[in-house]
Amino acid sequence: MVLILKLLIGLCWISVTASAALPAQKDELVYRHVEDGAPSSVDPLHIQNTYANSLVTAIYDTLYEYKYLKQPFELKPNLAASMPKVSEDGLVYTFKLKSGVKFTDDPAFKDGKGREVVAEDFVYSLKRHFIKSNRSNGKWLWQGRIKGLDKWGQESGGYQKEVDGIKALDRFTVQVTLVKPFPQFLYTLALGYAAIVPREADEKYGKQISVHPVGSGPFVLESLSSTKAVLVKNSAYRKEIFDIELHGYEEAKHGSTGIAKLSGKQLPLVDQVEVSYIKQPSSLWNSFTKGNEIQYGWVPTVQLDQVLASRQPLKLKKDFSDRFHMRVASDFGYVYLEFNMNDSSIGYHKDPEQNKRNHALRCAIRKGFDWQNRIDRMYHGIGEAFPGIIPPGVDGFDPSLSRESVELDVNGAKQLLKKHNWNAKTLPNLYYSGVNSVDFRKFFVQFRSWMSRIGYPKEKVKLKTFATFGDYSKAIKDGRLMTHSMGWGLDYPDAENVLQLYYGPNKSPGSNSSNFNNSEYNEIYRQASAMQPSVKRTELYKKANKILIDECVVIAGFSRTRVHLWHKNVSMYPTREVLGNYFKYVNVKPL
Amino acid sequence: MHFLRYTVRKILYGIPLILGVTFISFLLMVYFGPEQTYTLLGKNPTPEDLENIRRQLGYDLPFITRYAQYLQEIFTFDFGYSASSNERVLDILARTVPVSIMVSIPGFLLGNGVGICLALCAAHFRGLWPDKLIMFFSVFGMSVSLLIVIIGFQMIFCSSYGLNWFPVQGWDVDSFFDYLKYVTVPTMATSFVAIGYNTRFFRSVLVEEIDSDHVRTMKAFGIHPLIIIIVHVLQNNLIPILTRMIFTIPYILIGGSILIESFFAIPGVGGVTYDAISSGDLPIMKAVISIYTLLYVGVLIATDLVYRLVDPRVELG
Repeated sequence: MVLILKLLIGLCWISVTASAALPAQKDELVYRHVEDGAPSSVDPLHIQNTYANSLVTAIYDTLYEYKYLKQPFELKPNLAASMPKVSEDGLVYTFKLKSGVKFTDDPAFKDGKGREVVAEDFVYSLKRHFIKSNRSNGKWLWQGRIKGLDKWGQESGGYQKEVDGIKALDRFTVQVTLVKPFPQFLYTLALGYAAIVPREADEKYGKQISVHPVGSGPFVLESLSSTKAVLVKNSAYRKEIFDIELHGYEEAKHGSTGIAKLSGKQLPLVDQVEVSYIKQPSSLWNSFTKGNEIQYGWVPTVQLDQVLASRQPLKLKKDFSDRFHMRVASDFGYVYLEFNMNDSSIGYHKDPEQNKRNHALRCAIRKGFDWQNRIDRMYHGIGEAFPGIIPPGVDGFDPSLSRESVELDVNGAKQLLKKHNWNAKTLPNLYYSGVNSVDFRKFFVQFRSWMSRIGYPKEKVKLKTFATFGDYSKAIKDGRLMTHSMGWGLDYPDAENVLQLYYGPNKSPGSNSSNFNNSEYNEIYRQASAMQPSVKRTELYKKANKILIDECVVIAGFSRTRVHLWHKNVSMYPTREVLGNYFKYVNVKPL
Repeated sequence: MHFLRYTVRKILYGIPLILGVTFISFLLMVYFGPEQTYTLLGKNPTPEDLENIRRQLGYDLPFITRYAQYLQEIFTFDFGYSASSNERVLDILARTVPVSIMVSIPGFLLGNGVGICLALCAAHFRGLWPDKLIMFFSVFGMSVSLLIVIIGFQMIFCSSYGLNWFPVQGWDVDSFFDYLKYVTVPTMATSFVAIGYNTRFFRSVLVEEIDSDHVRTMKAFGIHPLIIIIVHVLQNNLIPILTRMIFTIPYILIGGSILIESFFAIPGVGGVTYDAISSGDLPIMKAVISIYTLLYVGVLIATDLVYRLVDPRVELG
């Protein structure tokens, strides 16, 4: 009955103000952004994708953030007044927060007026992740890292009970004590997971804080639906001036974007940001090229030939270059095909001889994997495979590393199989698994044809499909799959984030889905993950990467490349993934 | 009084139907639907995290307990919170269902209205060129996939490659003019396909009536063909026509159109339902299935009552 009443009210309401948000005033600057997927929640506890991270970091403050234009990525203070003081042993971090920063006005506060953000808010926000009933997605970042925090979560003694490892020393000073050195700790504080949530809002809205965020960031969420989010400028946002030099501006690289003219301006630059969530590439492209809808987009792969004048170097046709800015950027992550080392038909085997044969089989499959063909056919020939799992631009990436592991070698594969007595009869069934889709089936057909070239009987290369990503993940985490294709987006710009994927103790259901367990690798990871950036650490990262290549545990990697386009009246430098909080730097010139 | 007694009896008959549908669908959801645990997990979960989420989602409870909880939710009309977004399920539906209704209604009215007119015309000129022309376009409309129609219409009417008259995507409706702006192309697309199906169905129903003795007699008496068609032919065939129309109402109210909503980025219930099915968001699925079933039972009752209204000879027994 309640629903029916609501529906009727909704129907009447819709004829007058059915829009998800108030329309922007004519003289207001509105930036219209697009994403190809939608966030389900904007609670910092439940950031399941980059779409959610972009919104959360625009609404909430984090202690640190990435410099907008700097590559490789570099942190700068955001809500923190400065970079932290770190004890010599790397265990104690002391942060000073900016004073005078206020949460946005909300009925959750006394008299509806946003109060000042204080050190206790940071402590509260981090503790939230460790409350069992909160089902945090981000807990893993700090699990086993902060003194007393895990224990506090298990005991559920309430927020009043103090945690040894996180203390508010005074109104604006926080001290975090780690269990062991964790040099990536600061990176985690720039992620949306570390956004600062006021206790009052959490208590007032409970679960529904997921759609009713109250932060102190540059924008306020006006509305959120499955197809659109509207952010409006936080009128009480602190004074933050866009210092382009600090953000890594380079004339040669960013000169054409018009960003130079924004130097010295108060952030955020636009009054409103509208983020459309459009899953259909054709709709996205039509909306982008229309002129008065979304102002940023990317070239759908099916349109590349219509839009590009050349691929090497990548150039737009004149019609498009006259109307749009372009940036070609690789995803900050990679795609790969992984073997399940717990599957005795291809992974570890108790018989040392069979173990060797399985190793040879994995290496032969990798030799038969034709990355160039995959990139040409499925990624329209843009981008290049790299050996191992550390992508270019990340400390530990070795440009001098042999490319053998990403180059096709059919004869090498055949010889290896022959040498280890693998033939059409002895080869095991090879299951290629993934979420059912047209593209996935194309991947499979391609893979099967490559395998048949190295002598794998076609009927032994089999497809295993799943209806949903949840089912697929379950099968992976349960260790039921022989191989699985996945993609990994880096949470922070440090190779530790990818190397932990093969660390033995992280085995399924942890992040190590291959269940790789190598004592030498584990030891290197343990050492390197606790080290500050140094030449020695870089060497250890390279060594770990090399072990993965030698063990043929994964066929990797390739970072998908996207051709970003944006309208000429928009000043921005598009990026995705790690960065977050970038809407505040975007400017729109009225047409 | 007779009507009331009949309605109450029908509602009572509807209870086993509701129980049956909800039981079977819940069985399918629990044992064959996707499990959401793994979607909700963080990147490096421990077995304890896994256990914790499963417990919170109620996956550890016996099936019968879960089904009893589901029945209680239907009875109290409170389906809790979405497992994906933590938003109250009824709030999600209250926000999205009206949008889907607003998008579907013009297509429903046009598809049926134009379908009936064309069917009457085709039936009246049976075997002649107007009939053949209408049937040709009906078959054409039925044969082209909705997906192709959407892509084509969006390209022609919305994009800069075509006429560029309407928005490609969105639902920023602040006035009736805005509403027309956003609903026109989706309506054209759905009507294009629906008119074909409806015209063929309605024509086949009407053709028999046109050949009947009483119609021939009326023609012989020189009664105007329009009066014959509308007053006599159409009215005498209202039962099958209304049946077809009424049975699409639950779909309009709660089903939405996934394709239309996806291509035009319209925040309706179709997309929400699709996402819930693919992610295994049980609270939303349970709510949608329950409301759909309740509406269906309501429609069954309404259909019988409408029969009685349009044809007093029908007994409510």
